[in-house]
Amino acid sequence: MIASRDFAETLAKVKPEAEKLMAQYPQKRSALLSILHAFQSAEGWVSPEAMAAAGEMLELPVSVVESTASFYTLFFRRPVGQYMLQVCRNLSCQLNGAEEIMAYFRERLNVRHLETTYEGRFSYEEVECLAACDRAPCMQVNLEFVYDLTREKIDEMLRAMNAGNFEVAPLPQTAKPDVTWFVAHEGEKKSPGAQGVSSPNDPGGIGDPSGRQMIERIVRDPRLIEARPTAERLVRDGAALEAGAEH
Amino acid sequence: MRVTKVLTRGIGEVDLRDLKVYRRRGGYRQWKRVITELQPAEVVDLVSKSNLRGRGGAGFPTGRKWGFLPNNGRPRYMVCNSDEAEPGTFKDRMLIEETPHQVIEGMLIGAYAIGAKQAFIYIRGEFKRGYEVFSKALADARAAGLIGEKLLGTEHGVEITIHRGAGAYICGEETALLNSLEGKRGEPRLKPPFPAIKGLYDEPTVVNNVETLAFLPYILKNGPEWFAQIGPPKSPGLKVVSVSGHVKNAGNFEVALGTTLRKLLALAGGPRDGRKIIAVQPGGGSSACLFEEHLDLSYDFETMAANGTMLGSGAVVFFDDTTDFVKAAHALVRFFAHESCGQCTPCREGGHWLELTLERILHGRGLDSDIDMLVAVARQLTGINLCPLGDSIEPFLASVVKRFESQFRGYVKNRAIAV
Repeated sequence: MIASRDFAETLAKVKPEAEKLMAQYPQKRSALLSILHAFQSAEGWVSPEAMAAAGEMLELPVSVVESTASFYTLFFRRPVGQYMLQVCRNLSCQLNGAEEIMAYFRERLNVRHLETTYEGRFSYEEVECLAACDRAPCMQVNLEFVYDLTREKIDEMLRAMNAGNFEVAPLPQTAKPDVTWFVAHEGEKKSPGAQGVSSPNDPGGIGDPSGRQMIERIVRDPRLIEARPTAERLVRDGAALEAGAEH
Repeated sequence: MRVTKVLTRGIGEVDLRDLKVYRRRGGYRQWKRVITELQPAEVVDLVSKSNLRGRGGAGFPTGRKWGFLPNNGRPRYMVCNSDEAEPGTFKDRMLIEETPHQVIEGMLIGAYAIGAKQAFIYIRGEFKRGYEVFSKALADARAAGLIGEKLLGTEHGVEITIHRGAGAYICGEETALLNSLEGKRGEPRLKPPFPAIKGLYDEPTVVNNVETLAFLPYILKNGPEWFAQIGPPKSPGLKVVSVSGHVKNAGNFEVALGTTLRKLLALAGGPRDGRKIIAVQPGGGSSACLFEEHLDLSYDFETMAANGTMLGSGAVVFFDDTTDFVKAAHALVRFFAHESCGQCTPCREGGHWLELTLERILHGRGLDSDIDMLVAVARQLTGINLCPLGDSIEPFLASVVKRFESQFRGYVKNRAIAV
């Protein structure tokens, strides 16, 4: 159920908490992460309004707030599902069967890494070491640990979540999630050359100076366009290329 | 020699999160003694004599780190690093969640020793429960008059602020942590100046690991000689070791440094039935692999370094004879590529490149030359970055490629599609 979203109400709730947080530090900017956490617990995500409000409180340009928020993987700058399922993909879990666990999640929920199910209930991410290697394979649900994963345990967990009686409370949901909450694909922080070789089964990029193969791949998969703002630009450039315009 | 555990004592038997329980067992007595009876310099001296070395990864002598602070009359800060995220490490989370008060007591003692009136604890964003437990413990200690201004009838005081991260391995690096604590992107700073000179808000700052600080009350209680005579003289004392991987009973074990790797394996229940351990990563994801012939080595800073690897954060991962080391290398390389902050080109591009190359190999489209390229690229991106993250890629990758080259070549030989 999408709760009605009234940012003024959220702000009224977060503001006193933010004042307290700012007072704890010699410089108030230090409270930025904590304030963003407060907004996220209220709304389920860090909305543009929240970043603007945080900027106002801390006397920071919103660009600085956004740049900072984008550095940290636990701030969701787009709406997410009610259950954020974060499964560990690192070494100790891998040695104890994480691959099979991840494959099972993907199959059961019909999602890929960094995607939300269509009805908006589950968001799925494969994450790095969660510091629970003694109970591998492990995961977090809305940042609460679930240990010693098996297929049966996953079935049971998803059943309870669907029935609304799982032990971990769902996140507040104030907006409908998209396919992914990832604003920029992680590949985009790399250089265009390195991005181009993004799939070993489809060597583009290097040896593909016009990026034609890459563009074709993106055109074939409309989901990528949604996920990657740069993809749109690439498609536009590609169309111009097709039309015979030279760079 | 029989070693008495200190940090993990009582965990699972009593609720050490309860201030009353902790105090009944002698908790906060050392803090009281320090603040009422000892001068800061005396505390520094005692800790230096114990030869305590940092438990976060670098193993730097704690007393010496404290000694670098300049006498410039500026405010000073003590920061406790609980951004534990090194693959395979789960000791700090246990300490925070199970015995928060001994960490608080250690922070108070450390802050007093360096003359800091304000201390911070940076808790990893994923540790929601740890954050909640620690917040409660701080509130209890504050209510009991152990934290704040003019404590225990003295003029001294220490305030502790809890700070929550938001998902970034790199914030475990001390200067990245300080940036994050200032509300900035967690990008490491150029060193020097070191935090001791210019740290938090450009003031003199000490960043110590959770476990390091947690040892302080016991070093003061039992005396520095007690700590210094445990284990090898150059890296003495106790250590909480996180053992995981292909073992029957993974967990945290508090042992004397100098215990053998084989003993650690035995503590963790030994290998799975019918399996044999063929490799061990002794110091977290950043450390080079050791092999079955190394199992009798002494587990301490010096011996690990002498064998081309490191003790690091004390995360020991055992691998048995079923391990696919190409996949293992891929998991760790992908980790470092994902966690690169992106400031330095070699780390940002090199890590990504290695990840893609390993992916290509795993997909059966690797080239023979890829194996050599892995080692060469890893070598080339090492030692030329601002912080040690980029340098952390090579050790494990190079050591397993060297030892298990046939596994890597096997993927190449079996490739389905000719290139």
